[in-house]
Amino acid sequence: MTSTINWRHLLLWAVFLGGLALMPQFVTRGTLRTFIFANYLAIFAMSWDVLSGRTGYVSFGHPFLIGIGAYTSAILSYRFHVPVGWSIPIAVATTMIGGTLFFLPALRIRGSYFALVTLAFMELMYQLVQVIRPDLTGGTRGISGVQTLLRGAVNNYYLSLGLMGVIAILLWSMMRTRLGTALSAIGMNEEAVEGSGLNTTKLKLFAFMVGAAVAGIGGAFYVHYLGSIAPRALFDVNFLFTIIVAALLGGASTIIGPMLGAFFLTFLLEYLRPLLPGAERYFIYGLIALLLYMYEPRGLYELFHRGRARIFGGRA
Amino acid sequence: MTFILELEHVVKRFGGLVATNDMTFAVYKGESLGLIGPNGAGKTTIFSLIMGEHKVDSGSIRLHGEELTGLPTHKRIRRGIARTYQVPRPFADMDVLANIEVGLMPDSLIEMLVSPFDHAEGRAIARSVGLAEADLHRDPAELSMGDLRKLELARTLATRPEVMLLDEVFAGLTSGEIAQISGLLKEKRQDGLTYVIVSHDLRSLEPLIDRAIAMTQGTFVCAGSYQEVMNDKAVRMAYLGH
Repeated sequence: MTSTINWRHLLLWAVFLGGLALMPQFVTRGTLRTFIFANYLAIFAMSWDVLSGRTGYVSFGHPFLIGIGAYTSAILSYRFHVPVGWSIPIAVATTMIGGTLFFLPALRIRGSYFALVTLAFMELMYQLVQVIRPDLTGGTRGISGVQTLLRGAVNNYYLSLGLMGVIAILLWSMMRTRLGTALSAIGMNEEAVEGSGLNTTKLKLFAFMVGAAVAGIGGAFYVHYLGSIAPRALFDVNFLFTIIVAALLGGASTIIGPMLGAFFLTFLLEYLRPLLPGAERYFIYGLIALLLYMYEPRGLYELFHRGRARIFGGRA
Repeated sequence: MTFILELEHVVKRFGGLVATNDMTFAVYKGESLGLIGPNGAGKTTIFSLIMGEHKVDSGSIRLHGEELTGLPTHKRIRRGIARTYQVPRPFADMDVLANIEVGLMPDSLIEMLVSPFDHAEGRAIARSVGLAEADLHRDPAELSMGDLRKLELARTLATRPEVMLLDEVFAGLTSGEIAQISGLLKEKRQDGLTYVIVSHDLRSLEPLIDRAIAMTQGTFVCAGSYQEVMNDKAVRMAYLGH
């Protein structure tokens, strides 16, 4: 846990992001679009992990935050013709403020109660966008024709990759500070953190606001990639569980873990599509996630870590 | 001599059970006070009330004359009071040094983000409680109970308390480990630490304390030197039934 930044860490990041940067040279446009989704899923999974993976406050309401970011930017740019350069920052601020207003009371409760309350937020948002001001939200049909930022798979791939890379490096840097250690400590024993003289409510709120900001950024950019938004796709339990499973499968409480999990899940679902075109695919990924979680609760990252230790020696 | 910690008419009820019944006592600066009583006497509840882990129903708890009862736990710790627990509660996935460094953290988000880890201070505290350099990068799961107690003490000392509440620090220790922890407490006292200690191991407690307070069923029984308290009729009745 004690942190020293060394060249090996930076080299690994450079190799990882550099490898992804070369991807358009080797894969088809269709595969590239799958990568784009994986990049956005990685952003959502990292944002979920900041609060839930670190502190153990498992949120089932993450699409609620992504939805605030996505809808705010979509409404501002489509209905009010606000330039995207403004609508996205406003959407991020709205996600942080709106999310905090809802989640702040919930941060005082723990465990399954917290999870259930946050799940209720997602359902609330799903109902609200359909009935409150459908002239703005588009009701059940949502909004289509939202301005896209860039055209073409390659450009959008680099945009999503850059966004994911910047967010990952910023979060990684933050988690290597004392603050990151304190957040992880909350996940292990919140009373002992409070007993060390730290205000855990303040720490959780900070983690939540960072997570909300990242979710807002992801949601806003994602809607300007898709060019449309619909409540059924966003506030969907499958979408929620894909985010959570990506973080847990890859390795919660790490940065690289949720990214690995997002790529693994996205491509698993994609390759299962020809075999199982319906929702049955989710059973398969659920089964794989369950088996992996039973075998190694710390996820793919830990497997990778142990494999590296076995090959190069050292502590796993 | 001045009081550093004062409890006045403190009452705590859990439903129909009166866990702390009108407790009043004070601790002098630099004193080592033993809180004794049979199981269920309410000793640990007193610690939890002082730390704000339970709210008092009525009464006053003051540190340096300042009221603590309205403050959350972390603010009480910043005022200079800290406690250990009967069962050590380390951060399981952090090594020993990182555990201690949590106690050294400032309670400011900005400072936590920009100020570096204080490894030297963490190491110094670890050494002061007798943890070996080789232990610093071990996981808590690899430590003996004695070393876990030392880790708990180190993390608590890292918050720089003036008063420490020590809850059953000898539980589960070998006689050698008890001697080590006792020696450590004597050293810390010479450095000016005030402490209140709860232990069922009365023989180990005796040489460590200046004064003892006996309680049973949440109620004050008597106070005085260790011998005076142990010879008190009511205390003998509570402990031995005769």
